[in-house]
Amino acid sequence: MKFGKRLKQHVQETLPGWRDMYLNYKGLKKLVRLIASSSEDEFVYLLDNELDKFNSFFIEQEEDFIIRHKELQQRIKRVIENDPSSQEEYENEMARIKKDIVDFHGEMVLLVNYSNINYTGMTKILKKYDKRTGGFLRLPFIQKVLEQPFFTTELISKLVKECETIIDELFPTMVVAEKMAKAVGTEAREGIFRNIVVALLTMKEIRKGSSTHSHFSLPILDLRDPELIRSFQLNSTIHII
Amino acid sequence: MSLTNGTTGHIVSSSSGLSTNLHISSEETCLKKAPFVNQSSGVLRATAFRDYMKENNTISWCTDSLSDFLDYPENIPIQSSNVQIMPSEDVSKPNDWQDWADQLITEDDGVTPNWNEILVDTAVADQTPKMEYHVGKSSGTSLSLQVNSLVPASPGEVCTPVTPSPSSCGSQSKPRMRWTPELHEAFVEAVNKLGGSERATPKGVLKLMKVEGLTIYHVKSHLQKYRTARYKPEPSAEGASEKKPTPTQDLSSLDLKTSSEITEALRLQVEVQKRLHEQLEIQKNLQMRIEEQGRYLQMIFEKQCKFGIDAFQPASSTQEKSETELTNEISSSPARVKTESGPIIVMSPSSEKQEEERDPSESQPSKRAKLNESSSTESS
Repeated sequence: MKFGKRLKQHVQETLPGWRDMYLNYKGLKKLVRLIASSSEDEFVYLLDNELDKFNSFFIEQEEDFIIRHKELQQRIKRVIENDPSSQEEYENEMARIKKDIVDFHGEMVLLVNYSNINYTGMTKILKKYDKRTGGFLRLPFIQKVLEQPFFTTELISKLVKECETIIDELFPTMVVAEKMAKAVGTEAREGIFRNIVVALLTMKEIRKGSSTHSHFSLPILDLRDPELIRSFQLNSTIHII
Repeated sequence: MSLTNGTTGHIVSSSSGLSTNLHISSEETCLKKAPFVNQSSGVLRATAFRDYMKENNTISWCTDSLSDFLDYPENIPIQSSNVQIMPSEDVSKPNDWQDWADQLITEDDGVTPNWNEILVDTAVADQTPKMEYHVGKSSGTSLSLQVNSLVPASPGEVCTPVTPSPSSCGSQSKPRMRWTPELHEAFVEAVNKLGGSERATPKGVLKLMKVEGLTIYHVKSHLQKYRTARYKPEPSAEGASEKKPTPTQDLSSLDLKTSSEITEALRLQVEVQKRLHEQLEIQKNLQMRIEEQGRYLQMIFEKQCKFGIDAFQPASSTQEKSETELTNEISSSPARVKTESGPIIVMSPSSEKQEEERDPSESQPSKRAKLNESSSTESS
């Protein structure tokens, strides 16, 4: 039930509009326990529904991101090119833009995370199903999942990298290790940043060694970067269990 | 044959195996339940399914009016067809849906002809099993547009179907519409030519873009999103549109810290986000490789079955095995792997029990996959 718990935590912490969009892992797991092998069709029907849900949501979000990505670029262009009425206004707008773009970057990463978590959940559910029913649903079904739009996150990843380039241009200062550890997040940005941190720790938890860990399992996640860990701990407003 | 449950309404399935499920998922918990049961299912399955549906906030509607209708197209050899209506977040309010759904249940005359249209149309068009029909959904980008035309419908006018099109859950049907940056560029160009996002009309934009397969619905919904993005930029900047860069409440909290501190904090956030993204990409690649291997092993196994059925002594009654079991048996049994015409694998019964309890310190999956190359076995 480890994944289920992690998923539940993650979903609780996630951005409000996303909460219903995740895999209904708990429900499907219950069903797997009760279901007999003759109703594979129905099970597949439910899974297909989940896939539909993922695809719809993912494609919506992707479209939004494409639009916002372009808009951010326009915004930056405008601020740089237009003669600002005052230095202060310029700086204010730039501050806003920096904040927005970092959050935007985060949101996109969260979408990739969304895709991944749902995929992981799917494989687990399918494994459980096969184990329970002696069926062989997993392999062919997962091949289908691999081709689904929600799993093909290449475009989003590309946008993320482009965003990083822009951010690098806006943030010439290099972060010194100690400073990074000392940095404290502001309340305004807690939403996205907090979700990112939750996602990272969730991933770590999910990939922890378990009794069913095999060489087909994902390797254990090592987040041993000391500054990074310290920065999590310093931000006391994030309650990660 | 139909099962009737007093508390939950009629459950209908026709003898030809046609099972129709009117499936509405809404964000709020509107709970009227009429479970879906397949003809061939037992009671236990029905219960499980019903519980799942209940908990999942989905509502299956099978009603009297529908049952009348369902008996009608008995000869349609569709295995399962669904009419799905999926509201988008910004449109559905629980009350609207309740009312609308009530209409659906109670109004025989008003509803049935429409449903007839939908199912008969699609039945004629598509006789392949397991097709899904989406009412109020085009190729899938924005749902809010289509649903808008459904929800505020006055009584009696319920569910005016927009072109039902098959969904793609990995089946043969049309792929969904997916926007790309290039497509969006073309869109923006067209909009600008037409005088900006306020002046441009979907029709005009569509014409200018000249993209095959693009429908006015796609453009319309995209335009809507575009407008929203422009005049209410990022959520954090609410209160400040791009036109008036006046300080907002947001900044008051930022004022408390120096700008360099803010930048540092942002930098940290980016680094963490980058890290997560990195890990996600790595994870995804691993997952894909794992599946590739599974496919590879499956293929080998199938070949093996063709070649050496006699040599193959299955320990269990099943012919195929999951790839984990398979690998376990291959690697842990005293098997010889020949490199000539293909591996010959002798299964030993004892290894079957080792299912997933592998020694985690064993070598990486990539080594395992190269069965053909290894000249010696790896015994555990």
